[in-house]
Amino acid sequence: MIDPRTGSHPSVRFEHHPAVRGEIYRLDDRSYRQSIIDEVVARTLQDVQYQDPRLLLEETLYHERMRLRKSRAHWLTSPYIAARNQRDRDFIRSIRSGLRNTVGLEDYRHLLENYTDHFGSEICGNFEPKVYDFAIRAVPWMFSWLLNAASLKRILPWGMSESLNTRLKVVGEVDHLQRLAEKGTILMVPTHMSNIDSILIGYVIHLMSLPPFAYGAGLNLFTNPILGFAMSRLGAYTVDRQKVSGLYKSSLKNYSTAILKRGIHSIFFPAGGRVRSGAIESRLKLGLLGTALQAQIERYQENHPNPNIYIVPMVMSYPFVFEASSLIEDYLEQAGKHRFMPNDGAEPFVLFNVIRFFWKLFSSRSELWVRIGKPMDVFGNFVDENGISIGPNGTSVDPRRWLMSEGELKTVPQRDREYTQILGEKISTRYHAENVVLSSHLVAFSLFQVLRKQYPQLDLFRFLRLAEAQRMVPMDRFYEEAERCCAMIKKAANSGKLHLSHTLQCGDVKIWVEDGVRQLGLFHDAKVAKIVTHDSAAAITTDDMNLLYYYRNRLTGYGFGKLDEASQSRDIFGETDEKGFLV
Amino acid sequence: MKKAFWSNSKIAILGGGSFGTVLANIAAQNCAAVTMYVRAEDQARAMNSTRMNPNYVKDLVLDSKIKAVSHYEKVFEQPLDLILFALPSHATREQAKIVAPYLKGSEMILHATKGIEEQSLKRISTVLAEELPVVRIGAISGPNLAGEIAKGEPAATVVASAFDDVIAAGEAVLSTPRFRVYTAHDLIGVEWGGTLKNIFAIASGILDSVGFGWNTRSLLLSRGLAEMVRFGVAMGAQSETFLGLAGMGDLIATCSSNQSRNFRVGYHLAKGETLDAVLAELGQVAEGVRTTRIVYEFARERGIEMPITESVYKIIQGQWSVEQGVQHLMTRPQVQDEWV
Repeated sequence: MIDPRTGSHPSVRFEHHPAVRGEIYRLDDRSYRQSIIDEVVARTLQDVQYQDPRLLLEETLYHERMRLRKSRAHWLTSPYIAARNQRDRDFIRSIRSGLRNTVGLEDYRHLLENYTDHFGSEICGNFEPKVYDFAIRAVPWMFSWLLNAASLKRILPWGMSESLNTRLKVVGEVDHLQRLAEKGTILMVPTHMSNIDSILIGYVIHLMSLPPFAYGAGLNLFTNPILGFAMSRLGAYTVDRQKVSGLYKSSLKNYSTAILKRGIHSIFFPAGGRVRSGAIESRLKLGLLGTALQAQIERYQENHPNPNIYIVPMVMSYPFVFEASSLIEDYLEQAGKHRFMPNDGAEPFVLFNVIRFFWKLFSSRSELWVRIGKPMDVFGNFVDENGISIGPNGTSVDPRRWLMSEGELKTVPQRDREYTQILGEKISTRYHAENVVLSSHLVAFSLFQVLRKQYPQLDLFRFLRLAEAQRMVPMDRFYEEAERCCAMIKKAANSGKLHLSHTLQCGDVKIWVEDGVRQLGLFHDAKVAKIVTHDSAAAITTDDMNLLYYYRNRLTGYGFGKLDEASQSRDIFGETDEKGFLV
Repeated sequence: MKKAFWSNSKIAILGGGSFGTVLANIAAQNCAAVTMYVRAEDQARAMNSTRMNPNYVKDLVLDSKIKAVSHYEKVFEQPLDLILFALPSHATREQAKIVAPYLKGSEMILHATKGIEEQSLKRISTVLAEELPVVRIGAISGPNLAGEIAKGEPAATVVASAFDDVIAAGEAVLSTPRFRVYTAHDLIGVEWGGTLKNIFAIASGILDSVGFGWNTRSLLLSRGLAEMVRFGVAMGAQSETFLGLAGMGDLIATCSSNQSRNFRVGYHLAKGETLDAVLAELGQVAEGVRTTRIVYEFARERGIEMPITESVYKIIQGQWSVEQGVQHLMTRPQVQDEWV
């Protein structure tokens, strides 16, 4: 029996498991890459076969022109993006001149094919084993150097010998995942809080002795020359979120389908981008997710020996989040519109800050949790150790039968959209269930709640602008609320709705509150929570209400605090509130 | 293609009640074989030998393609393409649990239950999805009094599901020249429509018993519809659905027909009998009594305004007399509402 709180893997043992050379190694072959691009082009052209090619071309050109006009990339500040833009401009010019000299339908089709090929080549990732081998040696070395250098600063008793395992907790279904990776194709779907995620995930994949994964990385990750060099050779494919034309989106989806169909383990963030609010994703982008089902159908149709695709959620819990303040500003600005007054200043994603983040993480006793969720099939059914899907009542499900319509295993677009939507809901539910709550989250939650109770009549955005004197909470009152909240989430943890960090599991309230306050104060300049002396008594307060709100939001979607969700998504009663009150 | 597939298909109907029997007869016109599951062995035997199901539908001769069985092994002897649940709401989960291991996953599921699960407030399709290894599930609902359909009077129903696969199956299997199938994607609305109308059937029985005329009756129907919409939308349904067969259509049929069990409950309550006495006399469970309580409590908690439901609830509970209930409704403060 697996202990639900610590997961099957208290500390990950990596080297013991033989690494399998994944299908991704074949990306090193130029002709193999070309075959993928060709497939992307063919699929995309098929997607748009009923559209007027000329209109489609013009529409794509329009979107691209608009994007380039708005793009502020400069050769000096972001050479990578500027170079890409220049390439796009040249290409657009050639298409436009082509359009002017075109008369026949066939010519339009040809131009369209060129355009798709342009997108496909741009998306397609490379994989160079040599770079990979170098990276898997260099990155752990760098981490442990950073870890030990940071620890030394504090003269910790265990000095140089500290290993990363004590700081990076990889828990959950690691064994299960390792076994499934040999039986089928893995699609990892992590939560996305921070740009750090990408680095962390790559590292965790390596720790688990899994073959490298292909993943869609936003352009910003390529802008750093070192990171960009590594990324583009480690199977990452490029996702340009500024490109909004249907043709590009379709190409991107088809790329994902093509590599999954070839059995290349993949990762993408189903939420599309980082979560602004700090909450766990409850709305996922279904377009990309649908590629898993499509690839699954085709693998069945082609009778692959190991046809199954497994969806594995992954939830990362950070004690503090790298770009929290800019994210929450973004979120509040969108949700609050005129009711929100923005501040200035955001952290740019530069290498220095990344190092600073890890330095802070390692130099304190902070823990970073990565939880590997229960693997599922493409419909969101759990799969057992042998890769068999398990339905309700312990029935075993043959996914092929779910794909039969009128006696045939085939693609049915409407049905597949519904299936994908169900999968999206399942993933979101699992995200909540696999979440590891840290003491910092609970401190933020409790402090927010206790303050909110004092000012229930205030609109959320007015509430976030409380004056400093109003934010003071006497310590004993705070402890009372903290204990109430802790009891609440312990109850939720016992019924499998979430997980608790070790500190929260065993600690009495003073210990975890102290820990949480310290964690919240580590990274940000403004202290998210701090204990002060007020009227000669201990009190707790915050320097930054927005950040407090951000960390507090990690515990939304469980029905703990019905008030205060700025967006109404999970707050509508009835069917949409499956998390709480109907149970 | 579609027609060919379904005319060669094998389907099963779980539940040998009146509507189940009628549906079996309709489906037999479009399919290769129909198996009916009934609980009692002698009922199955009688149906197979006499080709009738007289306890539920009088004078209906069963189609020769229908076979009645009383063991699930027999139902699932051969692979099925469609399974139709025609069971009362409280039996659905329990039966679904038993059936689950037999299913293959490629079956389409439809249910014809007009009710919800009591404690959880879950719709029947949700209950089925939780218990069965299948997700292609839909519902049939509409003004479908079994006796009239059995006589071959023209009628129509709504087949609703999120999946076009299920809708297409329902359309192919249940359409006949005397029975028309409309389709919808708003499964939530269709299921809640069929459930909520029972409350107003009780109210209608009460009004009939007191002897009020058509003004009052249509007042009840239109304001009842407004309550259905309000509640349904809160549960995630689309308001348009309630204007159709599964909402307004079903409401009119149930509230006008004195055959309806819920109508009769209201009728006798208003004559001054107690609820227990009425139910005992009826011998069957009227879904509306349970629905009224659940919906009333839920709506009150969530602040959904449902004054008619409140009155029906309090009359059922014996807290109010009919006159008090009517007075409560007629003297409420004026409200602004889109649905007037």
